Amino acid sequence: MDVLIEYLPVLIPLIVLEVALALTALIHVLRHPNYRFGNKVFWCIFVVIVQFIGPIVYFAAGRGEEE
Amino acid sequence: MRAYAAFVKKEFLEMSRTYKLLIMGIIFGVLGLMNPLTAKFTPDLLAALMPAGMTIELGEPSVMNSWMQFFKNIPQMGLIVAAVLFGGILGNEISKGTLINLLTKGLSRNTVVLAKFTAWGIMWTCSYALSFIITLLYTNYYWEDSADSVLLAGAVSGVWIFGLLLIAAALLGGSLFASMYGSLLFMGGIVVIQFLLGIIPDLGRWMPTGLISNNMSLLEGNMGLAGFMRPLLTAVLLTALFLGLSCAVFRKKQL
Repeated sequence: MDVLIEYLPVLIPLIVLEVALALTALIHVLRHPNYRFGNKVFWCIFVVIVQFIGPIVYFAAGRGEEE
Repeated sequence: MRAYAAFVKKEFLEMSRTYKLLIMGIIFGVLGLMNPLTAKFTPDLLAALMPAGMTIELGEPSVMNSWMQFFKNIPQMGLIVAAVLFGGILGNEISKGTLINLLTKGLSRNTVVLAKFTAWGIMWTCSYALSFIITLLYTNYYWEDSADSVLLAGAVSGVWIFGLLLIAAALLGGSLFASMYGSLLFMGGIVVIQFLLGIIPDLGRWMPTGLISNNMSLLEGNMGLAGFMRPLLTAVLLTALFLGLSCAVFRKKQL
């Protein structure tokens, strides 16, 4: 427990960033139902489960073009 | 000048709309947080994972471990993500034809290349600075001693200059091949050639790849600042050369 408290100052921003990123990606997935590949269910699970990499892959490769 | 400012602004708008700003900010922010954390945490983690009765002696993690993580993570993870984003800078716009309207309205082609370099340079500088400041703050928080500030400044600026070189290479690749993949391959090729030439010791001392691989030996004092200046000089010259070349190539480019 002591160990955990020692790391809290760096863990909290890390967790906040991760949650913020996952939420942004999740909202984007739900609002823009066009993807370059994959479907809504796949991307929802992917961006939430795969930390950091998931949302980044979605924004960089999976996000469809906005018409 | 007005066209230049407007185009820089347009680049930033594009970065935020395509979520590149978000990706860069978060990646570099997270890397900044991870460096001191991994350095501090590894011994505890190993101790927790070892079977009972087994011990390995690990030195108390030091400031150097934190900076070692920084100079390992940023060039590996950070620069790779950055390079993928840099890849589309010019190539995407040429292949999609979105520049045609602006150019026929009288926007100079040099302005396009230079404004893109400025905008992406600022973006790279800010994300890199973010990562560095976070690592610096946490390193000062967890450790009482600190690294030599002059050497640290030298080592940190090395990676920064290398990033700028990559942006210039991406612009040249984009104007040569007019596609994102061409640009990415060109950047990769530039780095691979540097590593190959680096095998010859006399040439190796001048290769800009030294800026992302010798940071720790500089910081630990095994290598003088003078040894770091040589690749720095090459990198600055190459950046200028690439920029000039991509202006020249892009001027002649059929859109």
